[in-house]
Amino acid sequence: MARERRDKKRDKKKFKRFKQRSCRFTRLGVEFIDWKDVQTLQRLCTGQGKILGRKRSGNSARFQRKVEAAIKRARYMALMPYVGT
Amino acid sequence: MYPYEGMFLVDPVQHGADSDAVEGTVKGLLEKHGAKIQQFETWDERKLAYEIKGHRRGIYLLAHFEMPGDAVDALHADCKLTESILRQMLVRLEDDIPTYLEKSAHYYEKMRSELDVRRTGRREEGQDELGRDEALPIIE
Repeated sequence: MARERRDKKRDKKKFKRFKQRSCRFTRLGVEFIDWKDVQTLQRLCTGQGKILGRKRSGNSARFQRKVEAAIKRARYMALMPYVGT
Repeated sequence: MYPYEGMFLVDPVQHGADSDAVEGTVKGLLEKHGAKIQQFETWDERKLAYEIKGHRRGIYLLAHFEMPGDAVDALHADCKLTESILRQMLVRLEDDIPTYLEKSAHYYEKMRSELDVRRTGRREEGQDELGRDEALPIIE
């Protein structure tokens, strides 16, 4: 009984965490992602500096590609870490 | 001639000692390769995400310019030979520079408004920055 309830709770939590309706960039109507915009790019990374997957970030395929490219550029210029601190 | 965006990471020690000299070197390099500089700005000194050539801090110079495409490799090579430049990034822009700057301003306006919405936890049409409820918990 107890285990069942815990599982349910966890599932609910998981679902909540991944819930996002649409790609934030599509919603905002921006045309590109600026690789110098560290503030935004950091939100699309984990604390360790890994790029969040589409499931997690809710990005559309088009913007996920742009985000990846932008983060990689920012990493090269040491604006963002390759690997967490 | 194509529009480019160039970012140069320079040595903060040398820049601190003589900022004009370092910025002059970068501008000189660009002009040497036939670039027409349209905008040039210096960012504040900031901490680097990782150490580069023994430096933990650095100063970024950002330039928007037009340059012939065949000069890119030569510019990269020259940057590597310049001691004050730690790293450089050249990106060819899709639009000409005035259009790009306009789009960039639009982009930052949108993204920052998004951040504000996240910070206050809700979106309210017709409310400006002053009308926002500051008592709401910060979601981060």
